[in-house]
Amino acid sequence: MKTLNALLVVLCLAPLSVLAQNASAPKSQPQQAPTFSAVVERQISNLEKEFVDAAEAMPEDKFNFTPDSLGVKGSEYKGVKTFAEEVRHVAATNFQLWCAVTGEKPPMDLGGDNGPESLKTKAEIIKFLKDSFALGHRAAKSLTAENVLGTVQSPFGPQQVPRIHLATFAVSHAFDHYGQMVEYLRMNGIVPPASRPQPQK
Amino acid sequence: MKLVRTITLLAVLSVAMITLSLAQGGAAPAKPATPSSQASPQPSQPAPTISNIVDRQISLVEKEFVEAAEAMPDDKFNFSPETLKLQGADYNGVRTFALEVRHVATANYVFWAPLTGDQIPPGIKGPNGPEELKTKAEIIKFLKDSFALGHKAVANLNAQNATETVQTFRGTQPRLYLATFPVAHAFDHYGQMVEYLRMNGITPPASRQQ
Repeated sequence: MKTLNALLVVLCLAPLSVLAQNASAPKSQPQQAPTFSAVVERQISNLEKEFVDAAEAMPEDKFNFTPDSLGVKGSEYKGVKTFAEEVRHVAATNFQLWCAVTGEKPPMDLGGDNGPESLKTKAEIIKFLKDSFALGHRAAKSLTAENVLGTVQSPFGPQQVPRIHLATFAVSHAFDHYGQMVEYLRMNGIVPPASRPQPQK
Repeated sequence: MKLVRTITLLAVLSVAMITLSLAQGGAAPAKPATPSSQASPQPSQPAPTISNIVDRQISLVEKEFVEAAEAMPDDKFNFSPETLKLQGADYNGVRTFALEVRHVATANYVFWAPLTGDQIPPGIKGPNGPEELKTKAEIIKFLKDSFALGHKAVANLNAQNATETVQTFRGTQPRLYLATFPVAHAFDHYGQMVEYLRMNGITPPASRQQ
């Protein structure tokens, strides 16, 4: 048990320490039975906080940063996404995956792999990102025990894909890119917000 | 992750679930979910199950993560970006590549073990896992074993028990949350490892031209 307790402490200090959510909830708050909607909603909220905070942490004048520009000897960064493209790509993919769940239409032409080219500024791209998470919450709220295994057409082809996969895969996909953005931030001397020392509660 | 990878992953998932279901004799839930009429699976396609869906997600991250771990040469397995001394960077105290791998494997054990009732390995005393695991071979074995536990953990997950809670090291958590959290967590660190690989001139296997 000591091992588990020690692990609990250190894991909860790490980013993605989502279990802390429950720990910080008021003890008097009645516990509601978990639902598919609530579980996915929690995953999206955790991601949203870390991802949006990371996106906002990059200064405007470095928003188009790419590691390729550092010229690190022996590295291989040819053609990788800029920081801005990472954010646009994730937001656009969020729209694709979560629109399939809710049945909504994307708010604009989502463009190619790097999302809508028309979005240039940090403010525009972050608004696009936040809007994609708002959609994610609607998608999560739409999930029920009766429909999670129901399939909808994949946004990428003719396949039929279960709603629960689309809803949760978007979270995993975004965390892949979040991990890359963390490195882009550190390359610029910026400690990702989720990795900064947290105030003691 | 490029769009083509997203498409591929979704396509693989769709086909794999159908194949898997067929291989299992159409092991659909006894009482299938009721999808909306427009999203109903074709009669010839057995209904997906929560177990199959999460298992495939684990397989997806397992493939990318293990291949990325294996792509780092032995003599660079303890690489840290801090050693590059990039001007203006802040890599003070970040994990080495080896610690990224050990950390993810450790989290896999901590989150999946409550679903199976297995004990976590005794060497786990902190977020970076067993200190005695030093070599690339030892750490990758630890990693692969953690994913094997993941597959075991979701084997009996279904629409009925997915929202039931189980006791963990910190209160109770829904089974579905414990099952899927490690996938997202591993992708976070995979994204970091991708950058570590590229700093060493290695294109991540999943990003290479197929």
